[in-house]
Amino acid sequence: MSAVPVPVPQEPAAPASAPVRRRRGRTAEPESRGISSAYDRRVPGARVVRALVSGGLLVLLVVVALGPILWLAKSAVTPTQDTLRDPIALWPHGIDWANLRTAWVDIDLERYFANTVVIAIGSWAVQMLVAVTGGYVLSVLRPPGSRLLYGLVLGTMFVPAVVLLVPLYLTALDVPLLHVSLVNTYWGAFLPAGASAFNVAIVKRFFDNLPREIIDAARVDGCGDFRLFFSIVLPMSKPVLGVVSVFAVLAAWKDFIWPLVVLPDPAKQPLSVRLPRLANVTELDVLLAALLISCIVPIAFFLVFQRMFLRGGLEGAVKG
Amino acid sequence: MPGRPSSDGRPGTLPIRKATMTALLAPLRRAAAPVLFLLPMLLVFGLFSWWPIVRSVVMSLQQTNLVTAPEFVGLDNFRAVLQDPLLATAVQNTVWFALLALVIGYPVPLVLAVIMSDVRRARGLYTLLAYLPVVIPPAVAVLLWRIFYDAEPTGLFNTVLGWVGLGPVPWLEDRSWAMPSLVLEATWAAAGGTVIIYLAALVSVPPELYDAAEVDGAGVLRKIWHVTLPHLRGVMLITLILQIIGTAQVFLEPYLFTDGGPDNATLTVLLLVYNYAFQNTTGGDYGKATALSLMLAAFLACLSLVYFRVTRRWAS
Amino acid sequence: MSHHPRRRALALASVVALTGPLLLAACGSSDDDSDKSGKVTITVEGWRPGDEQGTIDAVKKQAAAFMKEHPDVVVKPMEWEWNAETFATQLAGGQLPTTFRVPFTDTKGLAERKQIADVTEYVDALPYAQDFNPSVLAAAQGTDGKVYGLPTDVYGVGLHYNRKLFQQAGLDPDKPPTTWDEVRADAKAIADKTGAAGYVQMTTNNTGGWMLTTLTYALGGRMESDDGAEATIDNAATKHGLELLHSMRWDDHSMGSNTSFEWAPINEAFAAGKIGMYMSGSDVYNALVTTNQVDPSSYGLAALPLADGGSVGILGGGSVAAVNAKASAAQQKAAVAWNDFYRERKNYDPEAAVADAEVLKASNQPIGTPTLPVFDEATWQKVQDALKPYVNVPRDQMTSFTDGVFQQTLIPEPASQTQAVYGVLDAVVQKVLTDEHADIDGLLADADKKAQQLLDAS
Repeated sequence: MSAVPVPVPQEPAAPASAPVRRRRGRTAEPESRGISSAYDRRVPGARVVRALVSGGLLVLLVVVALGPILWLAKSAVTPTQDTLRDPIALWPHGIDWANLRTAWVDIDLERYFANTVVIAIGSWAVQMLVAVTGGYVLSVLRPPGSRLLYGLVLGTMFVPAVVLLVPLYLTALDVPLLHVSLVNTYWGAFLPAGASAFNVAIVKRFFDNLPREIIDAARVDGCGDFRLFFSIVLPMSKPVLGVVSVFAVLAAWKDFIWPLVVLPDPAKQPLSVRLPRLANVTELDVLLAALLISCIVPIAFFLVFQRMFLRGGLEGAVKG
Repeated sequence: MPGRPSSDGRPGTLPIRKATMTALLAPLRRAAAPVLFLLPMLLVFGLFSWWPIVRSVVMSLQQTNLVTAPEFVGLDNFRAVLQDPLLATAVQNTVWFALLALVIGYPVPLVLAVIMSDVRRARGLYTLLAYLPVVIPPAVAVLLWRIFYDAEPTGLFNTVLGWVGLGPVPWLEDRSWAMPSLVLEATWAAAGGTVIIYLAALVSVPPELYDAAEVDGAGVLRKIWHVTLPHLRGVMLITLILQIIGTAQVFLEPYLFTDGGPDNATLTVLLLVYNYAFQNTTGGDYGKATALSLMLAAFLACLSLVYFRVTRRWAS
Repeated sequence: MSHHPRRRALALASVVALTGPLLLAACGSSDDDSDKSGKVTITVEGWRPGDEQGTIDAVKKQAAAFMKEHPDVVVKPMEWEWNAETFATQLAGGQLPTTFRVPFTDTKGLAERKQIADVTEYVDALPYAQDFNPSVLAAAQGTDGKVYGLPTDVYGVGLHYNRKLFQQAGLDPDKPPTTWDEVRADAKAIADKTGAAGYVQMTTNNTGGWMLTTLTYALGGRMESDDGAEATIDNAATKHGLELLHSMRWDDHSMGSNTSFEWAPINEAFAAGKIGMYMSGSDVYNALVTTNQVDPSSYGLAALPLADGGSVGILGGGSVAAVNAKASAAQQKAAVAWNDFYRERKNYDPEAAVADAEVLKASNQPIGTPTLPVFDEATWQKVQDALKPYVNVPRDQMTSFTDGVFQQTLIPEPASQTQAVYGVLDAVVQKVLTDEHADIDGLLADADKKAQQLLDAS
């Protein structure tokens, strides 16, 4: 729930063998010319201005976007009094590595970190299972009524997840049919994460773009629904599985309000939920160390998979 | 859960020969495939999406505290919510947040993207930096910014402002400063995502248009105004709607920064929903909470419809 | 696909039948209240989030000792803290421990909604059942007169101050303020000379209302009529209190620039040396030690300054060790036995108090923090005498409070809709402390109206 919504991940391109359906005006290569022309670049004054603008932008980005994270990294190993006395000091008087240890061991960050990992993995697994099997049925098997079903799935996009907070909580308290409570169980965090219409939609559209000839040929060869899924469709789906996975894991790591509600037991809570509580009773330097530790995984994740995040946004939502 | 296609029947369970078994089960197996593949989606969406949606409608017409049996009360919950003096405050605050986000948060990614699209060297580094705050868990970001927003003159932001002779600013400690402070952090946290959207759209500006503008003697700024921005109109409308949908649901920032304070200055609609359900010490008012949720959902659904129409038109 | 719909339905049914129990087994909880050996298991409130290991060890030791005394009961202490926000969620979710403490203010409401168990039968069986201080026991009773738990941790609000900051400001740490004018002057001295906040008051999550009520009592006002039927927020004492806060905040600048505080954060800030004085329950020193590692030599506790007049007094409160309404009869009985063992007996029986102190001492926990009598004053005195050799908190830095408190009138919290009324008052305090031009008269009139609506609706 941020001011500006997170971008929609791009629908990954189908494998190279697929006949790519292009739209008018969308054939431009990424290496197109920018706003300024070769002529603009040659004008001496303009060159200085351009250098200033792009250099200034870089400085701005480093200070504004990276700055807070660097500050956090520095302050996490700085004694509290130093941080309070001189918050902007570039170098701490003494480095206090013990903060990280204190945070990890004494305030039990270890456990909340592990909880977060469990929740991320479980949510990822459920999301993958639902999206891939659902996408397969809706795109490839297409039993009667699947259009209606797809409509019902897409319809949930109109209902913002946060608005369902209360009824979802009551459902987790007493799951219909099963009559068990998912509150304070990790299933309570995993299962609702699976109900992502967005995942189903991008997987389905990806499957829609798979070369029909291959599927039809497999059918002619007597390939059943299961073999078709495991031997033909899944192996061709790596790009879409990658995108869904990366966003599923990151979303689980960032999630706050639902785990806050469904996991009231502190021993089961993930970092996001636990940190605000600990913030009230923890000394500043240890709190900062805890915040730093909580950022490391998502940042590392982002750096490793940056192409999936950065390879541009809206196509997935616009296409099809 | 569907595993790999298993062998038919478990060994030794029935005295029927395996071949017979296979023949008998063949049609069932054929039917079972779609069902098995559908099952995860049906169960998960059914239990955790469709059923709660239905349930919220039912609950908005009931009085329930989970201890005693629910009681049908008609539209009383809606009436009670509409009569709550806090509702007006919450709606005003949410609109104020959305407006501020529009003024502060909306132009930032656009300007960033337009400048970045013209950067030749190391553009990857620019996008990497711009996107970095997006991956920081929101709860962590808020706790970090809460430290930056220390209202004492020795607070981090106030120290920096002090260098240029400004401040100290009361940040979260003042009715009029609290909301802009929230928006500032929210913009920091989310702008990178929108930058990526714009950059993707900017790539597709046909170069002929720039060439044509240059023939007419247009400079860089005029090219931006006459070529780049018109080309982005569609995306700008989409990000605008997405942003309004997002800001209408703002919860985490007011909840973690100020808990709606000071003096309800940052109480938003969703925070009010949360308070109805979870903040009352002696049992939540789930009826009122769902009633207000539904009203918010109706508003958002209208916006979403507009969004889908716009994207469809833009796509074709 | 051209499968026959009925066949598919059949297959679906069989699949559901197959996977249903699997899911059930996977998600099912294993919280039996009694295992096969016939033992009763109860979960109990153990320690607060952030507590040091010694605190946790002490509770576990006590649990082991209890189980020796009651071989048929298994006690599992867990981290828990009463929190206005999560309480309702946990209650609805059935995630509360079998027994937990709730503030005096909430007992009646919870009892009325059948959310905590009627344990009259088990409490009546305790040897000291007839000896409770009646006004304290009343806090544990529902409107139906039944008993819903054991009243414990009775506190009166005191003024906690930082002796080091007093010294740095040139004030005498052995002479804490005795009037509100002195509080104001000392706060200004601390702010001017040390840069720390001289005086800070809680403002959020209903604690703002709690403390504004305390201030009102100290100045002779009330927030509600005694029967809880009428809101009296718009009174001269509350107005005076808010004006005092306003002058300290905006004229003297002695309250610091950060004003959003509730119980835990204000403790943390005080322990970190950022606050000169603040009001809280007399027993908060325990938390300052176990959670915030306060420096004992810097801690001072003074009796709350009271204005002149017959109606002044200090706000008194406490907790009721209540029992989850969903607990079985055997669990309820075991829970009351645990609360007797762990929380109540030591207030009555000097021997039990000593035994308790031994355990606390072994885990290096604070002993001797001032509380007020749950029973009569003579019993309280006997227990205090027995504990003397064990006291490890700086009692001589608390004499202003311990000498003064028995001369002060203890006034219970507002009778009706207490937490909701506190919520209304939160906004008033926040407004005064964050808006220099706040209209105090208008705020009070408005808050009075809102509170009256709450009282009328209940």
